[in-house]
Amino acid sequence: MTRAVWVSAFLALVAAPAPAQRPHRPHRSGLWGEFGGGPGRLRVACSGCNSVVLSSGSTSYIRIGGTVSDHVLIGVEAFSLLDRGFGFVSGDSGSTENGTIALIVIWFPGRTGLFVKGGVGLAGGQFTLPSSPTTADTSNGLGTGMTFGAGWDWSISRRFAFTVNVAAYVTAVGDVVLPSRRVDDVIATMYQGSIGFSFR
Amino acid sequence: MAVAQVVGINTFVNRVDALVFQGTWARSGTRAWSRNLRLGWEWDEDAFTTNMFAHPYHGGLYFNAGRSNGLDYFEAVPLAFFGSWSWENFGETYRPSLNDWFMTSFGGIALGEVFHRVSSTIRNNRSRGRSRTLKELAALPFDPIGGFNRLVRGEWKAIGPNPPEHDPGAYMLRLGAGVRYARQLVADSGLNSIGAFQLDFLYGDQVAQEYRAPFDVFGVRLILSSNGGFNVLRASGRLYATDLNDRAKRARHVLAVNQRYDYMKNRAQSVGGQSVEIGINSRWPIGNNGYGIRTAIFGDAILLGAIDAPATGLGERNYDFGPGVGARWEFGVDRNGARFVRVFGQLEYIHAVSGAAADHTVDFSGIEANIPIGRSLGLSASSTVFHRNSRYSPTLKDVRDYPEARLLLIWTKAGPKP
Repeated sequence: MTRAVWVSAFLALVAAPAPAQRPHRPHRSGLWGEFGGGPGRLRVACSGCNSVVLSSGSTSYIRIGGTVSDHVLIGVEAFSLLDRGFGFVSGDSGSTENGTIALIVIWFPGRTGLFVKGGVGLAGGQFTLPSSPTTADTSNGLGTGMTFGAGWDWSISRRFAFTVNVAAYVTAVGDVVLPSRRVDDVIATMYQGSIGFSFR
Repeated sequence: MAVAQVVGINTFVNRVDALVFQGTWARSGTRAWSRNLRLGWEWDEDAFTTNMFAHPYHGGLYFNAGRSNGLDYFEAVPLAFFGSWSWENFGETYRPSLNDWFMTSFGGIALGEVFHRVSSTIRNNRSRGRSRTLKELAALPFDPIGGFNRLVRGEWKAIGPNPPEHDPGAYMLRLGAGVRYARQLVADSGLNSIGAFQLDFLYGDQVAQEYRAPFDVFGVRLILSSNGGFNVLRASGRLYATDLNDRAKRARHVLAVNQRYDYMKNRAQSVGGQSVEIGINSRWPIGNNGYGIRTAIFGDAILLGAIDAPATGLGERNYDFGPGVGARWEFGVDRNGARFVRVFGQLEYIHAVSGAAADHTVDFSGIEANIPIGRSLGLSASSTVFHRNSRYSPTLKDVRDYPEARLLLIWTKAGPKP
């Protein structure tokens, strides 16, 4: 059943009228918004660490903005990655949520739905590790981050589109300080593949 | 072509480092590339000047590979990020450094555009002979990639129209030489007097000039001292501006978004960073002889800043990296754009994300007076205080003040009245 839904969705996307058939319409105009989600990959590096920690999680994002020109959009993006099985070392069973709130610029180089994205803004990271079977310690970090990515708008009507994205988020969130562990100068890099829905 | 030149810059620099300077760190190959891509970003331990000036200058080469191949400011921005990213991942055996990527990219964009416009102002496509060659040579240190491209295309001799950047409209160049009296500028050594050279360059006028393109208006301050050499380089260019009232009104108010590059380094203090600010520039004319009062009030976001911190604890590095926020204000009196008196203040907060677990507050304020004693000559007297408060833990604080007075003989050249 699930597969049938996905196949139907895919066929709907493929069958959607190509933007090239409407060459004179801007990709997005006026106020636009977009939200979506998908799988993500997290890589945590730190000062003095010999290796990096890799894990997977789920991501979600929301973007809203305006248009600078037919090809250039500007907006704000909130992104987060949640991993409920995170650990700094093997055996840890904690969780982490990392995210950014960034000013982004989206550029459509041509008349197709292809776009590239770049942005910079605030980054935050929360790391929770259990200190006992019933309690957990949490460390929050705040810092800076950059994001880069690419995507494709598939028009489904004049006002709406499905949007696929691949993106990377590089965030620096400072030290993770927990009673049981200290991890200095954390850099969390996140990779995201997502499907979103845009109104434009 | 621009992308190929960015790759060419990285390949050339890497090969020179590996073959001429015998740097083992430059002997990267597929194994180092794979490791760098797999392990990703870290913070490096380079010296303050390397990270905060040399890398932004290098980033300016990438950016100007785009500018000198016909790309505009925004089209050249991705080249700075791409050039730095590819160097960090493929140009060195070291793991890629996140602070390098920030500083090379954002700093390279700011310095690159300033250098692109300064070199365009120096060059003159209508000039001929020896004067033309000297101008091309003088522009070379600012924009070597642009100079190289012009040489290859035969534009060092070709006669033709100048690009729009050649003419800034209103401008002011002020050179000063004299003495700085500074307390604790040489660490723990009390009051010192040191020789100083100062350059101020205003390209365009924030209030009088309608917005045309990023950095159509910018300002640069450079200070060299007999103690420590290269002390200060600050550049701020507007990315966007819009009038807040009718341009026909005498009193003018302009909303502006500026990109800033800050570098301040001496033996006692190191502060710098890449930031973006938004605020209002205003001018109220006084009488009809060109005099006016100028004010500016801005809030800023520091994308990544750096400040010296004894407790950094990261190898040989003695400064922290972190983002922050701040604000600045300025009140001044000018005549036709040239400031006579400036009173200013700037407050910045940096939250360290690499180095000591610290929060730093920096307060820089002062007064500056320029007194004409001839058509172009004058005296400049200024007094500033740099105050910093670093909190490393609830009980460990580091509070320092650096008062300074400056007395300079100045020479001013100003362009058309704004």
